[in-house]
Amino acid sequence: MSQPAPPDREGFEREALVHLDAVYRTALRLSGNPTEAEDLAQETMLKAFRSWQQYRPGTNAKAWLLTILRNTFVNQYRREKLRPATVDVTDLEPFTVFRDVQDADPERTFFDRLVDGDVLRAIDRLPEEFREVLVLSDIEGLTYAEIAETAGTPVGTVKSRLFRARQILQRELYDYAVEAGYITRRGAS
Amino acid sequence: MSEPETIDCRAVTRQLYEYLDGELSPAAEAKVQAHLADCAHCFGLADFETAYLRFLEARTRARGAPAHLRQQILDELLSDPEPPAAP
Repeated sequence: MSQPAPPDREGFEREALVHLDAVYRTALRLSGNPTEAEDLAQETMLKAFRSWQQYRPGTNAKAWLLTILRNTFVNQYRREKLRPATVDVTDLEPFTVFRDVQDADPERTFFDRLVDGDVLRAIDRLPEEFREVLVLSDIEGLTYAEIAETAGTPVGTVKSRLFRARQILQRELYDYAVEAGYITRRGAS
Repeated sequence: MSEPETIDCRAVTRQLYEYLDGELSPAAEAKVQAHLADCAHCFGLADFETAYLRFLEARTRARGAPAHLRQQILDELLSDPEPPAAP
């Protein structure tokens, strides 16, 4: 008869719970609601704790947690099915605002004028499938392979969605900066 | 004035995020690097997109979990009837 292994609360706290900020941030971006984000983060951490033995040491614990979070969100919290993409994700023609900014705002001061709330609101307006990859990549720093696993999509899809998401967001932020008077639109007198 | 775009410019533009994310193969990465060294337009674009990605990270990570949530979770873990063993 072998003794049951001792509980590993300390290990969980040290390697998983340290990512609570990331879990909460992502929950907030996915659900768009602070109360729901807290519930979602708490449920994710509890599920992760209970399946802690399935975690493979040495792999990215944050990515593991965000996968649990994403599955919990999709299965229990999402009220509506994925909306169809509002833009064609297979069309990868870039529409960077670089050219506009080059002429109108060479010092890129509009980046400095935009505050956290401006950026987060613009992210929250992205269609869900774009928002998801952008949050996992650009806020939480996951690799394409980790995002593919977390979102359950092929790496090629991650790549094209991320490209689109970044460019849409950039355009939105640029338009916002123009409207707010931070920069003058290219070609405007 | 930016320089005229070449076929290389279009290929580099498409691959730029993969390049900046460190997701290209070493061979593909070397090609992009070589082009950026030669092309002022693409170099400027790469510089701009780098600044954009840094800006996104800086503007979105400030907000962490509320303190009471951390405590709530810790309490729950401590009172869990079936705590797990180490992985």
